[in-house]
Amino acid sequence: MSRQPAAPPPRGARTHRTRPRSRLRGWARHHRAMCLDSARRLLRAPIGSLLTMLAIAIALVLPAALWLALDGARLLDAELEESATLTVYLAPHVEEPQAARIDEALLAHEAVGRTRLITAAEGMAEFQQALGLADALGRLEENPLPASVVVTPRDPDPAAVRALAAELEAVSGVDEVRLDLAWLERLRHLAELGHRVALALAVLFGGGVLLVVGNTIRLSVESRRQEIEVVTLIGATHAFVRRPFLYSGAWYGLGGGLLAWGLLALGSEWLAAPVAALAASYGASFRLPQLGAAGSATLLLCSTLLGWLGAWIAVSRHLAEVRPR
Amino acid sequence: MIAFEHVGKRYGGRFEALANLDFRVRRGEMVFLTGHSGAGKSSLLRLIMRLERPSRGRILVAGHDIDRLHHSQVPYYRRQIGVVFQDHQLLLDRSIYHNVALPLEIQGVESREAARRVRAALDKVGLLHREKALPIELSGGEQQRVGIARAVVNKPALLLADEPTGNLDPQLSADIMALFEDFNRIGTTVMIASHDLALIARLRHRTLRLREGRLVADEEAA
Repeated sequence: MSRQPAAPPPRGARTHRTRPRSRLRGWARHHRAMCLDSARRLLRAPIGSLLTMLAIAIALVLPAALWLALDGARLLDAELEESATLTVYLAPHVEEPQAARIDEALLAHEAVGRTRLITAAEGMAEFQQALGLADALGRLEENPLPASVVVTPRDPDPAAVRALAAELEAVSGVDEVRLDLAWLERLRHLAELGHRVALALAVLFGGGVLLVVGNTIRLSVESRRQEIEVVTLIGATHAFVRRPFLYSGAWYGLGGGLLAWGLLALGSEWLAAPVAALAASYGASFRLPQLGAAGSATLLLCSTLLGWLGAWIAVSRHLAEVRPR
Repeated sequence: MIAFEHVGKRYGGRFEALANLDFRVRRGEMVFLTGHSGAGKSSLLRLIMRLERPSRGRILVAGHDIDRLHHSQVPYYRRQIGVVFQDHQLLLDRSIYHNVALPLEIQGVESREAARRVRAALDKVGLLHREKALPIELSGGEQQRVGIARAVVNKPALLLADEPTGNLDPQLSADIMALFEDFNRIGTTVMIASHDLALIARLRHRTLRLREGRLVADEEAA
């Protein structure tokens, strides 16, 4: 005879259900517990954790430093663009009053920001001063230099400047328009190249961070295999199993980010003096750009997310392996 | 509670672990599953726990075809089943209390409620005084009782046990079985895989006998 209770089972046959609200509290509690627990596990092996974080930091420093350097170059770039000018040479026969009229006409053009008229005489004076050939040039009977107008365009974009040059060339009395944009364009290409290199490096080294964290977490998953197995058997969701590892990954990432931040600060301190001296020798004042609050927050956020993602990948791979067939 | 409909399980396409199993277990029943090692007892339990999926046939638990559960639903399904393992599967770095509390922690049961239920379960298996001990400090019989406390702390409708007395002497084995009978008496459906035929014969419950993956006998206890 099989045992069959006569009355409805008083307790055993009804599973206990938790109310949604208390379940939410339980969820939050588990997050808090795992956040602290994973931090404690990291602190329990301080040297190993530090080495992992250092590896992450080193992977982060290079792209971050390059990014900072490009930021500095962009500041420099903007300053140089300010000085992008066109030199409009007037025809040799143009006399001074006519030159002044042409100057006014040029200034009236909508794309022109500022103009500076250099008369033939002024041009000669500048030339003599620059070359120190006052005597030789003074012997010339006639001033061979034409009057010129230095035009600062409103829009420093090379294409716009080139278009403006073409338009100004058509103005009557204008002989030739010179624009020296080649170096500006070269600088732009260099900056573009730098950005792409920085991006590629960031992607590569970001991948490196994923691998470092992933590998570390994989080992820790391996060492807690039995625990994972048991909690899975008694109804833990994948999210529950992942949680402590995700927090570990995030801690590694955050630690690595903080170390990278420290390395960057140290590095810029170390380079500040020679950079300032170099800039001074060019008669410029250039300071190494600092990470700033927003940059620091971005660095820490990215490193933490990378750590989290690396852990997620590592644990998910393990979970996929143990899924029932 | 459990219905197997022509269930077969093959491993690697060749080895047939279970073949054409067809039986039902009613709600509130207590059933033994016997057979030599390798007869398929563990495979059968693993199918019910959905640690594996049948190659053929259907398994219904509480009316649901468990093969059709989405994998995200499987954890919630498993929470309704208490499982006792031969090697008890306790976490060695946690105290007895925390081992028993594990299923409640997974379900996010509030700590005061959890404490109440953990203590009730430990009291039931007679180990309330050892709640702070680590598993390693306990004897084999005590460890198995902790495993049982963990399996029932959740008040499951179905309790599965895989050789729960495998490593215990006859007296301890009888004690463990008496515990299972207690839970069955309050309405829990119990299924125990065991090859301790002498003990099973004394307990007088329905017995399913497996041989080479086939059900060769289904004996209602006299």
